[in-house]
Amino acid sequence: MIEFERVSLRLGTFALREVSFTIRQGDFYFIIGPSGAGKTVLLEAIAGLHAPQSGHVLLRGEDVAGIPPERRRIALVYQDYSLFPHMNVAKNIAFGLKMQKADRRTVEKRVEELLQAFDIEGLRDRSPLTLSGGEQQRVAIARALAVSPDILLLDEPFSALDPLTKDKFIEDLREVHRTHDLTIVQVTHARDEAKRLASRVAVIIEGVLAAEGGVEQIFNAPDTCEVARFVGIENILPGTIISGSDHVVKVDTGAATITAVSDLHTGEGVAVCFRAEDVTLSPPGSPRSSARNTFEGTITGFTPMGPLVRVSIDCGFPLVATVLRDTVNEMGLAPGSLVSASVKASIIHLTSRSPVHRDMYTKFS
Amino acid sequence: MRSRHRLPDPCILSFSLIGGLIVGLTVLALLNMAVKEISDIPFLIATASDSGVINAIAVTMGAGLNAVIILLIIGTPLAYVLARTDFRWKGVVEGLVDIPIMLPHTVAGILVYLLFMRRGLLGAPLYEMGFSFEDAYPGIVIAMLFVSAPYFVNSVREGFEKVPVHLENVARTLGATRFQTFMRVVLPLSVRHIFNGSILAWGRAIGEFAAIIMIAYYPFVISTLIYYTFTTRGIKTSSTVAFVMILACFAAFIILRLLTRYTGRYDDRV
Repeated sequence: MIEFERVSLRLGTFALREVSFTIRQGDFYFIIGPSGAGKTVLLEAIAGLHAPQSGHVLLRGEDVAGIPPERRRIALVYQDYSLFPHMNVAKNIAFGLKMQKADRRTVEKRVEELLQAFDIEGLRDRSPLTLSGGEQQRVAIARALAVSPDILLLDEPFSALDPLTKDKFIEDLREVHRTHDLTIVQVTHARDEAKRLASRVAVIIEGVLAAEGGVEQIFNAPDTCEVARFVGIENILPGTIISGSDHVVKVDTGAATITAVSDLHTGEGVAVCFRAEDVTLSPPGSPRSSARNTFEGTITGFTPMGPLVRVSIDCGFPLVATVLRDTVNEMGLAPGSLVSASVKASIIHLTSRSPVHRDMYTKFS
Repeated sequence: MRSRHRLPDPCILSFSLIGGLIVGLTVLALLNMAVKEISDIPFLIATASDSGVINAIAVTMGAGLNAVIILLIIGTPLAYVLARTDFRWKGVVEGLVDIPIMLPHTVAGILVYLLFMRRGLLGAPLYEMGFSFEDAYPGIVIAMLFVSAPYFVNSVREGFEKVPVHLENVARTLGATRFQTFMRVVLPLSVRHIFNGSILAWGRAIGEFAAIIMIAYYPFVISTLIYYTFTTRGIKTSSTVAFVMILACFAAFIILRLLTRYTGRYDDRV
């Protein structure tokens, strides 16, 4: 449906470098990356608003170089919604149809349908300047869908919404995706949105495609440390495989030896990745099991996160665990107290170490 | 609750006093003239109804309006290009647009004259076709156009720059060509800047003297008439003509501002 073949694009200080990926029809495709990584530019390149300096963009199997945005049949919704301030809501929605020279009755009928579908009939004659963020959002999506595109591009669509509106809208968007048989490409820096909606994910870091794949793979088994870091894996430890048999390997990280399940070979440089939520805390001196890695350490701090608490532990290396607030109280955990932290060998993911790995480690841990 | 005895901010107060000097100077000059003129109402009325004066005012305002209309047609596209593109020699083009602001008016007059006189580079072929600029209405319009263009272009360009690029991008993805986007999104959102640019340019055109007399001493524009009256009949008559012009301009600008008070308010907020 949408293919990028080694697309490079320079725009001011920002550059995309040799980005390649394929988005299939019906995908809910997420492009995630830190702010300023070039995600919006990438969307605009799909829409035809920027021409790549090299490489090819293919839409529906055809190279679209030289085809202007108005002939690509791709709708784009920006973070700021970009409603036309000099038109009321109905006229905003009708804009695309008028450009297609649809006759007046068709336009009116379609606008009516969309107003109903998005439950914004009451806003018909309002100026966009008087609408709330959530309302603007609905109008913007309705306007984009008015021309019945088969591809919808969304640029950070939830960033200006309060949590309640956002939850409702995520559900709506799922519905839109299903009922309109759309291919949706959404860029965001918020990982939770991707986890909830995406069918596939690309990670863009500093203009380079750092990873591409299914949600499960990207979030739980990333290929590189950079990606692991970005998708929010809290514990990343560099090490080397020192022994292995039967898919079970031992990794020496300097401060500890960690058991993991992997097909990688002895001698390979790897990073040990596991999520804070996969770490279990128990009183010091608890019985050990070979299926688990257990580290004794001292608690250095707490960060409250709603019903959860993030616990920082010094085990000779820094380790982060998230536990329920109740657990902290029940176990009587406090800064300075000794604790035993364990994580299942089967849940640990090993990535090959990229050359920048040491820096990444020191920078982020 | 607002305090009833709140002292004005000392900084704003002192700035207002200092800044008031400019306003004060204008008011003083106008009052000084007005008191003298109003003391001889019959002469004022006689001057204001003199056909020479009425003609000169009509020619001045008409030619200015003419120049603005031409600017709307040729200046608006230039403003859009400058607002939305970046090219190698853009700085040079911007400099060329601004030159008339910096040039002494006589120099502008000579430039226009050399180009549009009967033997001029453009004047000669146009004269063949039956257009004469020397001592003719088109000459006035051309001189006015030259000196007022930068004010129009810069003001309109600023308006175009204020229209978010995202709005244009969205319009494009909804099926509008660049031209349709310009007509339906960019122009309506820049109405106020276009209007302000037009008023600035019109005001500048009406005020022109030196550049106009170089190419078209006749027909008299108001400045030429005032100068002519001053040299032939003295300060009393010329100041009365000037006073009539002040009243006419004041009335015209107030009417324009009132008419367009609510035009394109949304572009303040985009």
